[in-house]
Amino acid sequence: MKSVFFTGKGGVGKSTLSAAAGWQLAEKGKRVLVTSFDPAHNLGDIFGEKLSHAIRRYKKTSLFLQETDLEQSARAYLKSSMGVLEEVYSYTKAFNMDKYFKILRYSPGVEEYAALVAMEHLFREEGEIFDYIIIDTPPTGLTLRILALPKVTLAWLERLVEIRREILDKRHTIHLITGKYDEKGTKLPYTEEEDAVMRKLKEMQNRYEKVLSCLTSEDNNIALVCNPDFLSLKESQRLVTGTKELGLPLRTLFLNKVEDQNEDIAKHVEEILTTDLPNTSVKRVPLLRHDAPACYIMDTDITDALGLSP
Amino acid sequence: MSKTKGKRCKGFSWFLWGKALAFFSNFGASHREKAVELTRFEEKELENLFVLLLMGSFTGIPSPPSFIAAELLPHLEHEIKVLNARAKASSDAMAEIIGLLDID
Repeated sequence: MKSVFFTGKGGVGKSTLSAAAGWQLAEKGKRVLVTSFDPAHNLGDIFGEKLSHAIRRYKKTSLFLQETDLEQSARAYLKSSMGVLEEVYSYTKAFNMDKYFKILRYSPGVEEYAALVAMEHLFREEGEIFDYIIIDTPPTGLTLRILALPKVTLAWLERLVEIRREILDKRHTIHLITGKYDEKGTKLPYTEEEDAVMRKLKEMQNRYEKVLSCLTSEDNNIALVCNPDFLSLKESQRLVTGTKELGLPLRTLFLNKVEDQNEDIAKHVEEILTTDLPNTSVKRVPLLRHDAPACYIMDTDITDALGLSP
Repeated sequence: MSKTKGKRCKGFSWFLWGKALAFFSNFGASHREKAVELTRFEEKELENLFVLLLMGSFTGIPSPPSFIAAELLPHLEHEIKVLNARAKASSDAMAEIIGLLDID
């Protein structure tokens, strides 16, 4: 499975290029999933279809479409966590946990985490089924936070595992001296296999390492979409810096909406960005004159610039 | 007479030996107990630190992403009890350490 993240400033044409890439790859016989992570979806508008969280086949082709509902992802995840909570503390069944979900959407970080959960699910489940997964991302700020999350989470998990290991070491020492675990005789686990917290930490570590390895792998491409204008250039530069810091592979630069009138600016933007991105392939895409839903009529073949082997 | 004296001496030396053994074994046990007490204190401090780090947003400490805490929460009953106990004793933490180290 190969994956492409279309990133860039809002309104530069990420969704259009994602849709076009998906359509063109499907035309070449590939099984493709195009999914939108942008909370303000317009993938459905481009194809003239009503899309939802459920993956849907587009007109009997090998192209599949989805508008990821981040809130639903977060709810599904929290529900599974609450399920474990109910198993451990049966009295929580008395509470109606569902009513808390409504306010959780406003919790800090939930949107990013929901996107991470959806991304992990994509790589794990859909990666087996599709040749290509194309992800239409939200504007730069949120995208960078989502892409940074596996690395940040792993750094925290590493520290927590270290502390937990020290705790288990101390418990083991006490067990060796006294033959029991706690002063009140409570049985506290002292091996990594017995300790549920350590097991959970390692399971999470394993999960995020997999996501990170998918993001940094040869089969992944962070494609940057930029328009020939100053604001788009500035935001693209922030994205270039961000992906460099995270060690993510930015392989393609799409200069979108290039016309005769803005040719000079496009050249200037390209020069600036390619100085920061020496090994990146650049593709110019002219302004699309057709109205949606007609992205698949796009004449420019953009799949050759994706930098992923066929 | 000398035989009885010899027997008494032998008995006394056994008695002394027994006392010395008891003394040293109690001495060892008391040190072991002290070592266990100190290790337990360290363990509790680490458990406290662990859960404080996880739920740092309650206390204003930079915390890991909240979903790590959410996933671990069902298994943290013991640690949360320790956190509560530590919070209650926090006004007199110095006295606890002084007591633990036997400083008068």
